[in-house]
Amino acid sequence: MSSYSSAYLSTRLSIFASNLLGIHRLMDLLGLDLQTILKRVNQFTGHDYRIDDTDSHYLENQLASSALNDFQPIIRPFSGNERLFFYYTIRWFELVNLKVLIRGKFTRADNSVIQQQLVDLGDFAELPLKKLLETEDPHEMLRLLETTAYAGIVRQARNVYEEHGNDLFLLDATIDRSFFINLKKRLLRLDNQDASEVNQVMGVLLDRFNLLWLLRYRFSYHLSSAKSYFLLTASGKNLHSATLMRLAKLETIDEVLAALPDSLGANLSGLKTISDIEMVLEYSTLAIASKVLKHNNLVSRCFAYIILREAETRFLQALIKGKQLAFDDKLIRQALVGTI
Amino acid sequence: MLSKPVEMKKVSLVMVDTDAQRAAMTLARMTVLHPLEDQQNSLQMAEFPAASFHDVYHSLKSRFTKINEYLTEPFNAPLDLTTLITLDQLQQMDEQIKDLWVIVSKVEEQLRKQYEKAIVTRQLSNSLQKFVSLDLDLSRLKRSSRFLKIIVGTVPDANFNQLKRALSLVEFMINPFYSGNGLQHVVIMGSSQQQLDVHELLKTADFRELEIPEEFSGNPAELKQNLDNQLSQSQNRIDELQKKLSVLLKDIGPTLQRSHELLVLSEPYAALSTVLKGHGGLVSMLGWVTASSEQQINDELKKYLQYPFYIKFLSPELSELDSVPSLIKHGWILKPFQHLVSNFGIPNYAEVDPTVLFSLSYILMFGMMFGDIGHGIVIATGSLLLAKKYRSFSIVGFLLGLSSVSFGFVYGSLFGYENIIQPLWMSPMHDPTLVLLVALGWGALFLIISNLLAIRNYLTVGLKQQAFYSGKGIAGLLFYLAALFAAYQLMVNKQFGLQEIIYLLAPLSFIMRFQWKQSTAGLFERILVVFIETLELIISTVSSTLSFLRVAAFSLNHIALAAAVFSIASMMDMTGHWVTVVLGNIFIIVLEGAIVAIQCLRLEYYEGFSRFFSGKGKAFKPLKLDI
Repeated sequence: MSSYSSAYLSTRLSIFASNLLGIHRLMDLLGLDLQTILKRVNQFTGHDYRIDDTDSHYLENQLASSALNDFQPIIRPFSGNERLFFYYTIRWFELVNLKVLIRGKFTRADNSVIQQQLVDLGDFAELPLKKLLETEDPHEMLRLLETTAYAGIVRQARNVYEEHGNDLFLLDATIDRSFFINLKKRLLRLDNQDASEVNQVMGVLLDRFNLLWLLRYRFSYHLSSAKSYFLLTASGKNLHSATLMRLAKLETIDEVLAALPDSLGANLSGLKTISDIEMVLEYSTLAIASKVLKHNNLVSRCFAYIILREAETRFLQALIKGKQLAFDDKLIRQALVGTI
Repeated sequence: MLSKPVEMKKVSLVMVDTDAQRAAMTLARMTVLHPLEDQQNSLQMAEFPAASFHDVYHSLKSRFTKINEYLTEPFNAPLDLTTLITLDQLQQMDEQIKDLWVIVSKVEEQLRKQYEKAIVTRQLSNSLQKFVSLDLDLSRLKRSSRFLKIIVGTVPDANFNQLKRALSLVEFMINPFYSGNGLQHVVIMGSSQQQLDVHELLKTADFRELEIPEEFSGNPAELKQNLDNQLSQSQNRIDELQKKLSVLLKDIGPTLQRSHELLVLSEPYAALSTVLKGHGGLVSMLGWVTASSEQQINDELKKYLQYPFYIKFLSPELSELDSVPSLIKHGWILKPFQHLVSNFGIPNYAEVDPTVLFSLSYILMFGMMFGDIGHGIVIATGSLLLAKKYRSFSIVGFLLGLSSVSFGFVYGSLFGYENIIQPLWMSPMHDPTLVLLVALGWGALFLIISNLLAIRNYLTVGLKQQAFYSGKGIAGLLFYLAALFAAYQLMVNKQFGLQEIIYLLAPLSFIMRFQWKQSTAGLFERILVVFIETLELIISTVSSTLSFLRVAAFSLNHIALAAAVFSIASMMDMTGHWVTVVLGNIFIIVLEGAIVAIQCLRLEYYEGFSRFFSGKGKAFKPLKLDI
């Protein structure tokens, strides 16, 4: 990247970073009504988010589109493996569409209901959403999906549809797992210095994914230790293969927490529920991403910004949906765990 | 020389709702209407009478398209283009096609399963191949003991390592004995007590087991025979299904033909679903039509509509100019150049269409940069030979070739030889300075014309301030002329005094004042913006003119390349000499020819179009029948 592009990107990132709401401001929005939330968000971020009374998903789509629009200029200066890495990272947004689509088709939901939940990804879209929506049944949808960049998850999806029926969590996990494995592969193609800096955030993300899904598989869905371990993704910062294998064999959440490496377990000791653990892990991921965003390395700063902005977008989307459906603040607070 | 998009009028049509489809069909047959959504709802009509028609049409079209992909023969039965289609007809056909697609899709799914089965069987057969030489009794593997479970099969490479570690958690071993085609062929062994967990795990890991039939008690060669039989059964089943599919498609041919007719005939009305607005039995619509078709539209609607209608044609207002579509019409010679212009953008309705100017200057510049009689003849002849296959390319190539021939006479150059033909003017090599000055003069003329066109475009859309005071307006033009004068004085008369400074600063001060007024930022930012934009104007004035030096540079380069070829050829014997000359000339024609063509395009786009041409117009897309 030329020095002009570096200076441009650095300035862009600084401006975008200063517009991020941050976890504390986001939490402060919880008790407010929808109009005040919008006013505050617009005031701070400089965006012009609006409510459309005729379309309840309008605002959610606006938030996602705005994030994707902001990703365009920060990815553009990159080329080669770096650009591919970021394009793949942004696919995370598309996984939401993919899950909505598969769930919708498997449960035979009406196309208009599925469509409302889909986010317009513009130039970043890989899925032929219109064609997929127009399929008559899950088999046809899966055949079409097999021709896309997501062909890798089709076999698992067929298994789920034909054999497991309602085990859609398994499919969600497979989609996420495949995403992280491929993202890690692309990370390894980056320049050594870049890869190591990006790994500061990605390592924590992978630890979070692995630990949470391990707990869910073992203690919520009661899968065997072998299958639980198999469904985990690439090694992260603290949880390597051997550690994960050891953890998979344990029988209670307390045992798992006690067996975690100190660097990870210190914050989690004493927690009893998976949602509490999830919240702490998410806070720490965002804290690390915020720290990295202030560093010098542009690749890692961009990655950190994407992680933070994506978390902020999903948090706001969940908050707004909760407010639109007039849910109790306590319920919204519970639902928000897992969105950031 | 300067053309404009075809003159348009805004049409407003109000009619009885039962006539709406007739009107859509009539206008589609005429291909004269560019539909326009009424954003302001000027006639207070809130309903969209064609909306449900459009939904059913879209559903039918989507299903029909899916089945149509299986067909090879196009539908070409004649259609009665006056037939009206009802919503009921569309709905019935949609249901029919839906049922048919479900049947086709089921066969397709069965086919997919058979293909998958065949692939897996083939993989297992390959896997078994590795055992054949061992003469092992594989029935032993089937008869797993009370304590030991043995499984043979394949697992994708990507899952192998993770599976190996996961199996170790249930104290199972996995050993690969062969790998290929993205698969690991493995033997898995472990305690029978854990087999349920392992079975689930293996399914998740996409493991394909080599199943040994219950009755089987033979060696690998016999099992291989068994798998081959399975494979042949799969192939037979695939053949059966394909036959079934083709018979099915043949049987439903008449229904598909009827469906195609319905789709063609209902498309115009469905396409107007967001344009047609109605209330109380009346329907209105807006659109853009060519001014020349006004009378014809009136006549045709009178002929085909059953009830009286109200139609009004209005010239576009100044505020509407951005939304008027542009219809560009050129003859066959200019058509290929029009494509090159539209690569940059479509002219806005109010803008000058630069196609003619572009074509002339492009051909001229190419000749100036690549002037050679021989090379020009080769390009022109080559283009003619390709005329049948690449018509557009051949027209451009032929004209460029002619230009090259003309300038070849001017330069006296034939296949790089400068002394065979007497030049009409001179070879660029003899007086490079003069050639550079001519190129600069050409560049200055080119930029002045561009500036004049920008001023004209500003005035047409009512942007008088920009036309007078902006950097691309009259002030910008005066500044450019002053800069040329100052450069002339400095270079020729060696003087640069107060007079030149005043000439330069006077228009510049207007431009700066204009920029100051345009900016709404704070004081410091305003100063910064005006300073940077003025600096940018000065730099671009100089750099754009100098950019045309490449016209001269390439004409010199052309001769230099030829000289290089001749100098290499002179070191060879007779045969080598001529081989080098021929190959060298081919090299010059292909490589330098392509580079010059691109450089000319670059000059047109960046030095010309970016000054006066927004390219933000909307193409005229008429309502038409998809026959």
